[in-house]
Amino acid sequence: MKFAWLLNGTMEAHHLAAAYIVVWLIQGGYAVWIAWQWIHTRRTTPPLPSTALKQTQDF
Amino acid sequence: MDLPSQRARVVEFKPLGLAWFGLSLAVIVYATRQGLFVAPTEATMGNVARILYYHVPTAMLSLIFPYLNFAASLAYLYLRRRDPLKALTADAVAIASAEVTVVYASLCLLTGMLWGKVAWGIWWTWDARLTSMLLLWLLYVSYLMLRKLSATGQVHTLAAVLSVFAAVDVPIVYMSIRWWRTQHPAPVFFGGPDSGLDKSMLPAFTWNLVAWAMWGIFLLGYRYALERRRQAAEQDAALLAIEATLEIAQ
Repeated sequence: MKFAWLLNGTMEAHHLAAAYIVVWLIQGGYAVWIAWQWIHTRRTTPPLPSTALKQTQDF
Repeated sequence: MDLPSQRARVVEFKPLGLAWFGLSLAVIVYATRQGLFVAPTEATMGNVARILYYHVPTAMLSLIFPYLNFAASLAYLYLRRRDPLKALTADAVAIASAEVTVVYASLCLLTGMLWGKVAWGIWWTWDARLTSMLLLWLLYVSYLMLRKLSATGQVHTLAAVLSVFAAVDVPIVYMSIRWWRTQHPAPVFFGGPDSGLDKSMLPAFTWNLVAWAMWGIFLLGYRYALERRRQAAEQDAALLAIEATLEIAQ
């Protein structure tokens, strides 16, 4: 079976599996962290500041 | 003053980004299959040598991304007074590439330790390659900590200067196994007449190098877009504060 050597109980197999899993976890985890930060970085586009002076006339 | 054009341009996650993400994942799956099941078993190390199909590409890429950080930091230092908006772009590239460097350097160290425990019987040794690689990791972690924890207004400039010095370690890491006798194996690529990878292993290695390079580019672009979004959010907050101040003044 193709997976047999990967699933046997030797240190070699354990370390090989651990190495691949660690890579996927850290790479995937970083991508998820970026996605999380993206969702929580809110843009609040403000209206343009009013450049015209509010004028009041005194009669 | 035309305020909208003064704002940092937001980079949206476009269809190209999604397509690149999907393609990267597909190549990673194919490359992993190549490394785990298609490539032949190494004669002396056995199946544990398959770790190297992940370890070597991540190591190579961890020596490339620092130069992107170095170039972006130099650009920031040059542009910060001449063109602040372009300096923001350079700064976004710098932090994105620094974070990706830390990710790849971490994976290089971890996979190397997992391989080393089986091959050498030890998790770690203070030889030139491992020590210089650990130093690289520490330098870029300190760069990120400076960016995150510093309260001064000069944090971007300080980080850019640190980046210039950190990049000096990259050629030391690369050349360490050529300059000194090390526990780490001798160079396989460009190592001399007796070096080189068996042809039957080249496809697995090449596919994994391509896969993790594509993924690294995806992460870089994604993180850059996030940083630009954050810069725009900061500018929005600053404009809101100005607006509020103007209204109070009136």
